[in-house]
Amino acid sequence: MDIIRTENLEKIYQDNGVPVHALHAVSMNVQKGEFTVIAGPSGSGKTTLLNLIGALDVPTTGKVYFEGEDVGTKSKTQLASLRLHKMGFVFQAYNLIPVLSALENIEFTMMLLQISERERKERAFALMEELGIAELAGKRPNKMSGGQQQRVAVARAIVTNPSLVLADEPTANLDSATGGALLDLMEQMNREKNITFVFSSHDPQVIQRGRRLVLLRDGRIERESHAGS
Amino acid sequence: MMLLRLAWRNIWRNKRRSLIIITSIVVGVVAMSFVEGLSSGFLKQMFENQLGAYTSHLQIHHRGFNDNKIVQNFIAGSGPVTTALEQNPNVQHLSRRVIAFGILSSASNSAGVSIVGISPTDEANITTIDESVLEGRYLSGQKHEIVISKRLAETLGAGLGDRVVAMASTLDGKVGSEVFRIVGLYQSASSAFDRMHIYVPLQNAQEMLRVGERIAEVAVVARSIDSVGAIKADLMKRLDASYEVLSYQDLLPSLLMQMEMAGQLMWVFYLIIGLAMIFGIINTMLMSVFERIHEFGVLKAVGMKNGILVRMILLEAFLLGSVGALIGGGGGILINLQLSSSGINFAAFSEGLATYGAGAVIYPVISYPSIATGMAVILLICILAAMYPAYRAVRLEPINAIRYV
Repeated sequence: MDIIRTENLEKIYQDNGVPVHALHAVSMNVQKGEFTVIAGPSGSGKTTLLNLIGALDVPTTGKVYFEGEDVGTKSKTQLASLRLHKMGFVFQAYNLIPVLSALENIEFTMMLLQISERERKERAFALMEELGIAELAGKRPNKMSGGQQQRVAVARAIVTNPSLVLADEPTANLDSATGGALLDLMEQMNREKNITFVFSSHDPQVIQRGRRLVLLRDGRIERESHAGS
Repeated sequence: MMLLRLAWRNIWRNKRRSLIIITSIVVGVVAMSFVEGLSSGFLKQMFENQLGAYTSHLQIHHRGFNDNKIVQNFIAGSGPVTTALEQNPNVQHLSRRVIAFGILSSASNSAGVSIVGISPTDEANITTIDESVLEGRYLSGQKHEIVISKRLAETLGAGLGDRVVAMASTLDGKVGSEVFRIVGLYQSASSAFDRMHIYVPLQNAQEMLRVGERIAEVAVVARSIDSVGAIKADLMKRLDASYEVLSYQDLLPSLLMQMEMAGQLMWVFYLIIGLAMIFGIINTMLMSVFERIHEFGVLKAVGMKNGILVRMILLEAFLLGSVGALIGGGGGILINLQLSSSGINFAAFSEGLATYGAGAVIYPVISYPSIATGMAVILLICILAAMYPAYRAVRLEPINAIRYV
């Protein structure tokens, strides 16, 4: 089943009055359980495509379907609800809330879903133990390393059991060992919980680990391949 | 709870900025409390001085006397009045008075006065005239004694022990006069009152005015000011239409209107303080929002709805205001508590204050409802001030906000 399907996506945005054609006729799909990497050099449109898939941006033309529904027909409130209930996000800069502890950061999206405080804490702590970061529960982001923060960010993204996790350059600020460990973690979640992961990255380590690769260049899909092909 | 916790921690991200705005709120609330307390204290003093010096809670006259204070309008038989009053459990004390406008003359000068004939014991129960005597003594009840104010004594060039002559129109249209010896000099809180009122024994006044047993009024003090209405209603049922029963509200309408206006004017003062503070709070909240544009973008990206975002920002403003209001309210109570016992000495303005019937030392009054109102006003202002910053946060597009550096 297609979690994501895009049809002839075009994205043009203005940069100081100059139109920039970020995406040209991008059509692709992502199936349930895939571990997909959208790769390409800087400026190839990876982040733009990821933002459109994640309903954070609207295409100039073309359509995005999430679980068969046209995302373009939804209001901003409905899109926010879609992201909250169905998606998780991992950002390059971790983006944890600095005044909340690791446990509270993981609880946060569950709080938005109006899950009870008791259940939130139980689920968040259980996940932290599963991910091997339970000792970080009471720590604030400024007391954690980059790798630890990103692991907490992954926990935040998956704690609500989303259908899809979008990760934009998740290893960009990490050393290779830490980045590798993070990828191990996400692969584990993909295998054990069947969570679909879509990454945007130009990191060779990430590209190698992807079981499906979508290569972008100058806003167009240059190549699609599966691991081993 | 988590949103509250998040809002609380957010306001302390920039401790210095938050402390500055909290301090301004504290100063605002303390200022409101102090001004309100001082104003209320001043008016309360004026009111109590008026009641205590002369007006008391109720006065009963012959109908028409209050509009035309001539001896022909005296009460002919005060029996029904005193009987009705003595039978009312809400009445604490009463005093019969004879009042006539006349002239008081000394060896060197004369002045227009209001001659008040009293029973000294009864009058001491309902007014503070006996406590106001500064030199000499109060009336003993013996004939030909007179108590006048120090101010009037200076005008007349007279002093203790001197003889003065009081003259006024009698019931039969002639001029009655009597000689008195000054036994006491008083000073009340009101210079205007002092210049006008002189006190002589009731019987002396009745003889001088040739009114027999007639009296001008019966003044009444109730057991509690709340029972004045009930006493008035009872008297009006029991007395016939030849009497008029006037409460302090009927006798002091302008003072009461002044007091009401002062209450209304406090709202203007609150508004001014509020306006002064609101822009500081708006600025603080706007800075706080702009510093977190990227963070708000991330929160919106993960699915935070605008309603929750607005609630969080308004909560932050509410918490800032609460801290300031609580400290300011506490400070206002402490300051007013201290000043309500020690008073504030306005000696430099004593002459002016005496014109209004207030003493040189004003005792602020603590009004907990007023302090609570001031605090509530501040909280409302904080929430209003946060609306524009919240609106700016709501308008953020997640994609643009995430890119914001």
